[in-house]
Amino acid sequence: MRLLEFQAKRLLSQYGIPIPKSILVSSPDDLRSLSSFPVVLKGQVPVGGRGKAGAIRMAAQPEEAMAITAELLNSSVKGYPVSAVLAEEQVEVKQELYLAVLIDRLTSQPLIMASATGGVDIEETARKSPGKIVTKHLNHLVGLPDYVIRYLAEHTGLKKLENFTRIVNQVYQVFRNYDATLVEVNPLALTPNGLVALDAKILLDDKAAYRHQDLFTRLQEEQKGSAKSGKTSAEQLAAEKGVTYVTLNGDVGMISDGAGTGMLTLDLIQDAGGCAANFCELGGRAGAESMQQALEVVQANPRAKVILIGLIGGLTRMDEMADGITSYLEQHGKSRPLVVRMCGTKEEIGKAKLQRVGIEAVDDLETAVNTAVKLVREAS
Amino acid sequence: MTILIDRDSRVLIQGITGAVGSFQTRVMKDYGTHIVAGVTPGKGGLEVHGVPVYNFIEEALQENEVDAAISFVPAGFAKDAALECIDGGIRFLVVTTEGIPDQDVMTIINYAASKGSIILGPDTPGLISPGKCKLGVHPDRMFAEGRVGVLSRSGSLSYEVGRLLTENGIGQSTVVGIGGGPLWGLSQQDILKMFQNDPETEAVVLLGEVGGATEQEAAAYIKKYMTKPVVSLIAGRTAPRGAKMGHAGAIIEGEEGTAESKIQALRSAGCLIAQSSSEIPTIIKKEVG
Repeated sequence: MRLLEFQAKRLLSQYGIPIPKSILVSSPDDLRSLSSFPVVLKGQVPVGGRGKAGAIRMAAQPEEAMAITAELLNSSVKGYPVSAVLAEEQVEVKQELYLAVLIDRLTSQPLIMASATGGVDIEETARKSPGKIVTKHLNHLVGLPDYVIRYLAEHTGLKKLENFTRIVNQVYQVFRNYDATLVEVNPLALTPNGLVALDAKILLDDKAAYRHQDLFTRLQEEQKGSAKSGKTSAEQLAAEKGVTYVTLNGDVGMISDGAGTGMLTLDLIQDAGGCAANFCELGGRAGAESMQQALEVVQANPRAKVILIGLIGGLTRMDEMADGITSYLEQHGKSRPLVVRMCGTKEEIGKAKLQRVGIEAVDDLETAVNTAVKLVREAS
Repeated sequence: MTILIDRDSRVLIQGITGAVGSFQTRVMKDYGTHIVAGVTPGKGGLEVHGVPVYNFIEEALQENEVDAAISFVPAGFAKDAALECIDGGIRFLVVTTEGIPDQDVMTIINYAASKGSIILGPDTPGLISPGKCKLGVHPDRMFAEGRVGVLSRSGSLSYEVGRLLTENGIGQSTVVGIGGGPLWGLSQQDILKMFQNDPETEAVVLLGEVGGATEQEAAAYIKKYMTKPVVSLIAGRTAPRGAKMGHAGAIIEGEEGTAESKIQALRSAGCLIAQSSSEIPTIIKKEVG
């Protein structure tokens, strides 16, 4: 889960990291109580590049602030509606620093990064002068030793900064205690009053949501208005049923019982001259009900002219997959052609069950893909 | 010879009394895997398909010699189970569980490394050395004994390719799933090294997919050290950016996550690139004869 800016900064603030004074508003009227100007108005959306998209603005006096807030609340950034605006005191920035803790996938260890040149151009700095970003791997079993902080301070030239040590420590604690996969403070601003977290990005691990139930519930509640607009009915259904579903541009609907064969199927569809309408994967432990739900989701996309089901079970059992398909057909009828590839655990039983409802499952994936692409051509 | 396991490996099952654990215990036993013990807290004293169940690893080890373990323990308890296994001194653990929090996976992998144990997974189908031993959930009819090593991030893709190889008369030495990511115990590079050193493996099939940078790392290893032919297929050439394609690790972020950049790295390392799964047997036949 990606936190909104105000949520991320609230977590940091709870760990004693200074943030600017601010109020969160969902209507221009909420700004009436504000007395200190100028104010920075920041649209709350879970994507980067807000500044360049015009979602971060400055106002010198109340009327202007209200007008801009009204405008922001009517806008969206990259498809995400702005449903709240963070009105923040302007702080005097002497220098913009960068600080992040994340999981390094190649070493399976946390990685800490700091730079004396942070801000919006950090990615360019990483590309053009990577030496300006100091990185250090941590040992997850050990935590964050003091010498690492001293090392970062020394090599970024920040060693005289008061509070740097404490802030680095606290950022690491947030990373650790909330099952984050990334905690990034950028910029970490040097102001006349010391270091202040001006903006922050925090990614929490959804797989660990069960350990932070109250926090996740609250964060999700607060994010309700920021969900990407324009979800298709298939996407909505997929979200409700917990089905892995990605919308694509073509007309061959697909369901697979593995991620790898699912991606291969997309590639083969394109090689055969077709184009997939979606990606849908059941996951290893799926049963009949998951299969039926996946069919409901995929057929909710009107652009899918044919549905291709590719099954090669290890953990998934073909008798159960067939049950899912037949019970779907019993309830919804056959609104469009179904092409089924089936092999794996208990495939004889599965194939016999499908035969009874008039479906001849094939053994080979490419044969199934070619049939589906041909049927789409005939249908259009 | 095979990698990681052999005909004589004595195996312990964690989570043996659960639905999946118990079903897969029977399937592995039928295949000939030497299963000596199972562990489920609170279920000690039971038997599952003739296998004695213990409350603790330590108790199981008092009465049995164990070379390897496989875990079917649910995500919320998977870290604890793995730590118990490592503390017991079991050298090789397959973690099949999907959805373990990343920080728990980091703990498992790093603790294992500090104690000299090896982790395969998580979110892996495990491995099979056809005709000898199976420590995983592979549909075994799709595989046959032979001399091609297969490694894959995806379980299903390794079944797909195993089946095509077998149908074309090409057997496999060992088929290894490293897991869907985004964190891995044994990496592609680790498995490549084992295949390179295994006298019974003549060629290797590397099944990669979009997301992350592990194929680039594997390519660097291949370029430097591999003398055996490596055939590679990268799934997800047509996957869109930014979408999670089923596996937690299969999401294209940045250039290195794309199929093109992986294919390019592998090709320049001397790998033979297959466009589709059905090309793999043809390429192998040409290379190995």
